[in-house]
This record gives sequence, structure tokens and C-alpha cells, in this order.
Amino acid sequence: MSALIVAGVALAYSGFAAKGLSMDRHYADIHGRGAEPDARLRLRLRLLGWLALALSFGACIAASGWHIGPVVWCGVLSLSAWSVTLLLRYAPRRAVQAAWIGVPALAVLVAFMA
Amino acid sequence: MKDGLRQSMAWVHTWSGLLVCWLLLLVFMGGTAAYYKHEITFWMKPELHKAADAPSRVTPAESAALAVRELQQCAPKANAWFLDLPHERNPLIYASWTNPPKKGTTREERRAAFRTQNFTLDPMTGEHTAAPRDTRGGEFLYRLHFDLYYMSAIWGRWIVGIAAMFMLVAIVSGVITHKRIFKDFFTFRPKKGQRSWLDAHNATAVLALPFHLMITYTGLVTLMFMYMPSPTKALYGAEQNAMFADVFPNAERVKPAKQFAPLADIAPMLLQAERAWGQAPTRVVVSNPNDANARIELHRPSGQQLSNIEPTMTFDGASGALLSQAKPMSTTLDARGAIYGLHVAHFADSLLRALFFVCGLAGTAMVATGALLWGVKERQKYAKVVAQGGKVGFGVRLVDALNIGAIAGLPIAFAVYFWANRLLPVEIAQRTNLEANCFFIAWGLAALLAQIRPTRAMWRFQLTLGALLLAGIPVLNALTTDTHLGVSLFGGPALRAVAGFDIVVLLLGLLLGYAAWWLGRPKKPAAANKPVPADVSTNKLEAA
Repeated sequence: MSALIVAGVALAYSGFAAKGLSMDRHYADIHGRGAEPDARLRLRLRLLGWLALALSFGACIAASGWHIGPVVWCGVLSLSAWSVTLLLRYAPRRAVQAAWIGVPALAVLVAFMA
Repeated sequence: MKDGLRQSMAWVHTWSGLLVCWLLLLVFMGGTAAYYKHEITFWMKPELHKAADAPSRVTPAESAALAVRELQQCAPKANAWFLDLPHERNPLIYASWTNPPKKGTTREERRAAFRTQNFTLDPMTGEHTAAPRDTRGGEFLYRLHFDLYYMSAIWGRWIVGIAAMFMLVAIVSGVITHKRIFKDFFTFRPKKGQRSWLDAHNATAVLALPFHLMITYTGLVTLMFMYMPSPTKALYGAEQNAMFADVFPNAERVKPAKQFAPLADIAPMLLQAERAWGQAPTRVVVSNPNDANARIELHRPSGQQLSNIEPTMTFDGASGALLSQAKPMSTTLDARGAIYGLHVAHFADSLLRALFFVCGLAGTAMVATGALLWGVKERQKYAKVVAQGGKVGFGVRLVDALNIGAIAGLPIAFAVYFWANRLLPVEIAQRTNLEANCFFIAWGLAALLAQIRPTRAMWRFQLTLGALLLAGIPVLNALTTDTHLGVSLFGGPALRAVAGFDIVVLLLGLLLGYAAWWLGRPKKPAAANKPVPADVSTNKLEAA
């Protein structure tokens, strides 16, 4: 149960981090002033972002069911979005590194579903 | 709309928000605390801590049997018995009863009598626990957030309801007027004056928008029959109670037969309910005990559905036969139950409850940053005047003072409420009222001082005081009870509530302390461009 919700938080974090990275302002914070992601990278980040958010929704539903799962997901989204905001401001490189947390979280989700 | 939609919405957002923001701070803080009202009440009754120390290994059936045995001695002729059996958030057995109404007693007298008609049992020993001190505990904070105080509940609810309607307007207009809602989604730029306040306001508002919208809307729905009475008036006229009886699935009231019949054993009923629900019931209501028409109603514990109306099972108290399971509810009523349930979040387990709590803090921070932002913006108009030694306008001064009184003053009031709980003599008369008075005296003084001197020094003073009082609560608890953090952290599962309370107030105290330090930190020459009116909530945001 809790492991699934933690996986949901991690996936939502990764999703938001990917979406943040696709934005010029945050991309430039990491790669230097004026740097912009090229169109393909931007598209890929956005798709990955949406995918991770959808998976996070799935994790919350798997953890708490269709009644309460969506409520949990809303809280999870807020929590991870604040984390991304603060990390992008105070440790932008770390924020990107931490986004890989989505991979083991996906493994947890798959393990629970299997 | 000669200014365009966004500009007009900005106006609506500013003024609908500013008008009610100080009341909303009280509502948000009280409501956020109310997510843990049981834990707060338990912390505020230290006499019960000892009994709750041992992990409970008693089954619901055994607990119910213990309570019924006691009730048979205390109140065999009661109208109804109410039992709360131990569960995750409640380590003890709580029992209370109502007596048949005597003629010539006022409502207040009956209420006062009801406050004494209860006892608490230690499920391990079956003994009565030490009598807890008289306190309303978390219930006071819960009621405060929609009934207010020192006025009839109806007035309080209208005032809070109107504030909530303004809040709903502020949320919707805020979303419309925020033209960079997606571009600035993750943006926070500290140490940039007004820019930073706006970022903090946006981050606390936008990133928890589902919560803010939900909590405001559902809050209004909880009192919809009061705020929107016309439909029921049209159908039922003055007979509002008939509507409630029609709509809500109450167990039908059965009159006592005035004929003695021994009460059937509750244990098999509990077992039957547990088999049906997969969870043992935690609430039992016995009407007309020891009467041929006795009824025993079992309630399913919350946690499986959003709706706050849980299914029940009713048994014949004399024969023990299952009479009815609650009728399936209409979709409309189920929808209302879910909306209501979302607001009170009884279904939330500890993790989700923590998320609700954090979102509530974010809501508080959103209102606080919004209120501060008004002052920051307005003050700029006076930059030149102030530079020449003049004063800011009356509005700015008033808002600054109200901001100090609410943002820094309310935490003081909350802390003083908890201090009063420990320091007021246990035997003193009218204790619950005194605790509440302490809350409002502290808040009133803070607000008054703020009106007299709405300065940066006042911000620092009140924030520091709030920090000391809140962070001092674990120390106070250690000095006045046996369940300090060293004990409660390593004791039984029920003591986690005590430990959790201590830790959360300590963290909130540290947060206020950080804010006070941040205000008084020595200015670096580069940052000393413009004096920025003080505030707290960035720090709140950073911690959240």
C-alpha cells in the first residue's frame, strides 16, 4: 500500500521534473543562460512527463482504489510539484538527477501489479 | 469590460480575497488542525495517556462486553447508549448515554448533564481510566472553523459561509487572471520583493489547486441546506425536519415498549457485521436498552469510501435478530455524502491525512501570501512619500496591522490554547470556557498590539513569541505529564498521537522562529535596495 503511494510520489516527481526541464527557464538554469532544448528533446520530455504522471495516477489507484485513489493522487501531485519547484530553484542539477527515481518506482509499480 | 477580462478579474481577485483573508486564516488554521482533532483531544487529556500505553490486544467483542457490563450498572434505564470501541485512531473504550428527558429542564441543563454521562475504560484492564480533565480539545478548533465563538452557531456559519463564497470567487478569478499559470508553474524566485511574494502565492495556490477548490466548495456543501434553503422550503415549507427524516437514512426511532427484556449478547452481532464488511464495527448505538423494543445499531468504520454516511446494521436488542441493513442510498444522496466526506476526510488513512494537513498548511500560506502581497503592492505607491519621511496611507497601515495580528497572532493563540490546557488547574470551574477564553485573549492582545505598532519589529516580536510558545509545548508536556517525547516515541502505538503532536508543534515553532530570524537577518549591501514588508510564508512554503 504505502510502497505504491511512495512509487506514485516518485513517478509524479519524475513527471513534473521532465515537464519542468522542457521549459526554457528551467532548462537554461541547468544548461547555462540562453540554452534551449531542441524541439525533439522538448517533445520527448513532455511525453515522458505526461506518461509518468499517468503512471503515478495508476499507482495511486492501485494503492487506494477508484474511490480514494484519485484523492490521494491530487495530494501526491501537489507534494511532488512543490518538491520540483524548490529543487529547481535551489539545486537544479540535483532536481534532474533525482528525476531518475521514476525508474525504480516504475519497477515497484510493475512488481505490485504482476 | 473596457479593461478586458484578465484585468477585471484581477480586481475581483484582489478585493474578494483581501476582504475576508483574515477570517479565512482562522478558518484554514482551525480546519487544518481539525484533521487531527482526535489526536489533539487525546493530547489534551493526559490522564488517558497511561491507559493507552499498552498495545491493545482486545477484540471489539470483548471491548463491547466490557462497556455493556459497566453501562448496565451506571445507566440501565437510559434512553440510549453510545459506544466507541478501540481502533487505529482511538486506543480506549468511550461510552456515553442519554437519559429520558425530564420535564421542566432546559436544553442547556440537558447538555450539561450529558457532559457528565460518560466514562472511559481501559480495554486491557476493563477498569475506568483516571477521569480526564474537562476540555473540548480538538473539537473546539473544529467547531471554531465554521461556528466561530462568542456568537450563536447560526451567525458563525453565515459569516464563515459568506467568507467561503468570497474565497470561491477569489480562487476562480485568481486562475483566470494568472496569465502565466503554466509558464510559471515551477517558478520560485526568492529575494526579489514583490516578485517573490507573487511566486510564493502562485506556488501555494496553483500547485494545490485541486485541494483549495475542493475544500472551499465542499465546505459550502456541508451547510448547503442553510445557505440554499429555497428548494426545501418550496417542498416542505416550515417542516424542515420532515425533509431531513425523508432524505437521510436514519434508523427509524422505535418507542420503548416499557416492558423489560434482557439485552441480547452483542458479540455475535459484531461478528456478523465484521463478516459482511471485512472490518469490525467501531461504533455501537443501543436504543432503549433492557426494553422489549431495544435496537442495536452497528456502524461500519470509515476508510472504504468517500461518503461520510457509512452503512449500518440494525439488530433487535431483545432477540438478537438482524432487522435491517441500511437501505442503498440514492445516487444524489451518495454524491452529497461523497462531497461532504471529501471535506471531513474521515476516510483518510495516516498517509493521506498527512497530505490533507500539508495541503491545509499550503492553503494557509496561500491566504497569508495573498494578504501580504496587497500590502507590498500598495506600499510601492508610497515609496516616494516614505523616502521623504512621510507616512504610508491608512489602508496600508490597517492591512499591515491586521496581517500581523492574523498571520503572526493566530499561531500565538493556538499555542496559548494548548498551554492553557496544561496550566489551568484541573479542578477549576468552567474549564472548557476558560481554555477558549485564553485563545481569544491571546489573539486579541496580539491583534491589538499589532494595531498600535504595525512595524517590522512587531512582526519579529510576535513571530518569536509564537515560535517560543509552539516549540515550548513539548517541554511543557514533559514538565506536566509523564508522556514526554522520550516516552511517547517508544511507547505503545496509541502514544504515537502524543509524540506526533509534540513533533508537529515543534516543527511549526521552528518554522516561525526561522521566519523571525529571516526578518532580522543582517542585510547584505546588495540586497538592501528596498525595504520589503515583512513576512512569513515563503518560509512556510519552503518547509512545505
